[in-house]
Amino acid sequence: MELINNPLVLGPVFIPLFAAVICLLLSRNNRLQRYVAFWAYFVGWLCSIVVLLMNLAPPPLALTFGGDPASQLTITWQVGVQTYTVGGWFAPFGVMLVADMLSAVFGLMATTVVMIGVLYAVGCKDKAITYPAFMPLLLTMGGGLVGCFYTGDIFTLFVFLELMVISSVILVAISDNRLGLEAAIKYLLISAMGTLFLLLGIAEIYASFGTLNLADVANRLQTEGRPLLAQISAVALMAAFLLKSAVFPFHFWQPDFHTTAPTPVGALLSSVVVKVGVYGLIRLTTLLFIDEAPLIQQVLIVLGVIGIFFGSLGALQTYNAKRLLAYSTFGQIGFILVAIGWGSPIALAAAIIYAFNQAFIKAALLMITGLVSSRLESKSGRLSEIVGAGQQMTFISSLYLIGGLALAGVPPLNGFISKVSLVNGGVDVENWLILGLVVGAGLLTMLYMIRTWQLIFQRTPEAEHQFKPYGDSPLAPTVLIGICVILGLYAVPLIDLANTTVAQIGDPHIYIRTVLGG
Amino acid sequence: MNILFAITTGILFSIGVFLLLRRDLIKVAMGYYVLFTAINLFLLAVGAFNGDVPPYTTMEGQGQQSDPLVQALILTAIVISFGSYALLLGMINIASRRFKTINADEVDELQG
Repeated sequence: MELINNPLVLGPVFIPLFAAVICLLLSRNNRLQRYVAFWAYFVGWLCSIVVLLMNLAPPPLALTFGGDPASQLTITWQVGVQTYTVGGWFAPFGVMLVADMLSAVFGLMATTVVMIGVLYAVGCKDKAITYPAFMPLLLTMGGGLVGCFYTGDIFTLFVFLELMVISSVILVAISDNRLGLEAAIKYLLISAMGTLFLLLGIAEIYASFGTLNLADVANRLQTEGRPLLAQISAVALMAAFLLKSAVFPFHFWQPDFHTTAPTPVGALLSSVVVKVGVYGLIRLTTLLFIDEAPLIQQVLIVLGVIGIFFGSLGALQTYNAKRLLAYSTFGQIGFILVAIGWGSPIALAAAIIYAFNQAFIKAALLMITGLVSSRLESKSGRLSEIVGAGQQMTFISSLYLIGGLALAGVPPLNGFISKVSLVNGGVDVENWLILGLVVGAGLLTMLYMIRTWQLIFQRTPEAEHQFKPYGDSPLAPTVLIGICVILGLYAVPLIDLANTTVAQIGDPHIYIRTVLGG
Repeated sequence: MNILFAITTGILFSIGVFLLLRRDLIKVAMGYYVLFTAINLFLLAVGAFNGDVPPYTTMEGQGQQSDPLVQALILTAIVISFGSYALLLGMINIASRRFKTINADEVDELQG
């Protein structure tokens, strides 16, 4: 099979980066910057949808232009895994962008949520949004994020990851919240440790096999045996990905960082940016280190269960509505890790469905919390100050309730679909103890979401607190909650998508054969 | 040569980790940079000693060429680590003015 470059794979990664440059040129016109950013993401989003559809399309896929046979122009697309060879150097030597089903699904999730995050930023009243660097940084963060999902080269993964980390650090450092700077320094140092482990893993892989291409590494791991150094690199890569996802032993930076960020940035950080680690771990266990996977999966189950309980109990304890949602992200990542740890096809599909749905729910909830707190003078999410702030906002209140119920997994919302598929996965591997713990911990989610909803939207505000009559635009969270309801009522496409994805990543030869040819 | 590199990398790693655990944020930033230097050295050791002559020069054909890819990787890694190091120093500068201290123990308003 000959490789055909699909330029659309470049779209979600490089259109935002290009738009970032344009935004820098437009630094005097803040309003125009916001629209350029939004439309750039919109185009990127369309590209990611087409990439996903082309992964699914039945062969042969050919477009013919012009009726006259002499001047007819026929474009034939490669069906299945979509690739783009950057610079014309073929694998395993050149840098490749590879969008297989897993990458395309995660890429679609990321571009959708980031696009809606930019939509929130367009209607946001924070001071940070008016800085000329804000929109370019948001764009580079999104570009780096999708780049992490689409890249087929482990060193390019490092480059995109660093692009994302540095952009998000600056975005948090310029937050309206004065403590953002402290959280940003903390995160930059912690993430440097993750980067260090990632580089260490890359160097060990290069020392063992002399290649950086993911498919080539996977191929050689299967055919050339496993030197000790390559096995150590599995540990280093796992540490790096766990750190990016804020899993239990490496979690302590996460609540600070996600709480102090400006609302649109915090919503993206807590929903899609943490998924980079999840994506990396799925790749690690299904493509690269398949023989070592059972060991990795056992570790993931333990860390996941710890994360679920730590996150849920932390969310019950905390004093800040945004921080509560950040803690709850621990719990949600824990659910996904447990599903990856179970490792059977049904459980892996559950992990993908859970990751996909959770991104929309968590982004929506954080945006609504930010929207309510934007009416406060201090703009903080402190529960003592935000009490009763949403008493007059019936619409926003119902959105928050729907989001909270979705997070807790109540039918007919999309959280229910995730929970059902998770239980399905647990029944499939017959891991009853962990399944019981996971389902039990799901009830804790219900507890803290309903409690917070009552606190913000049902109580009468204390007399000394004054609320502004205006705040951020409610458009973006409405769209997200709408997607949550639709994905709950009409879940078949997502489930089919997850099953197709798992069928594809279940056979790593598909990925290897497409990239390396032959 | 390989053993020398291994020892040097190890020493740099330990210095970096030691500095990173200091209370003074400036020392922490230095530790950050030393750690990245250590990892760059490790990357160099991965491929530098497989050949005898530098690649893409007039010395072609006089022996086994050394691996040019690790040097490209290190260049990229240096650029990235230097950028984030500059960013870190800039943020510490602002933090020292905002919190009136560079002691990491006293910059701890985020808790709970």
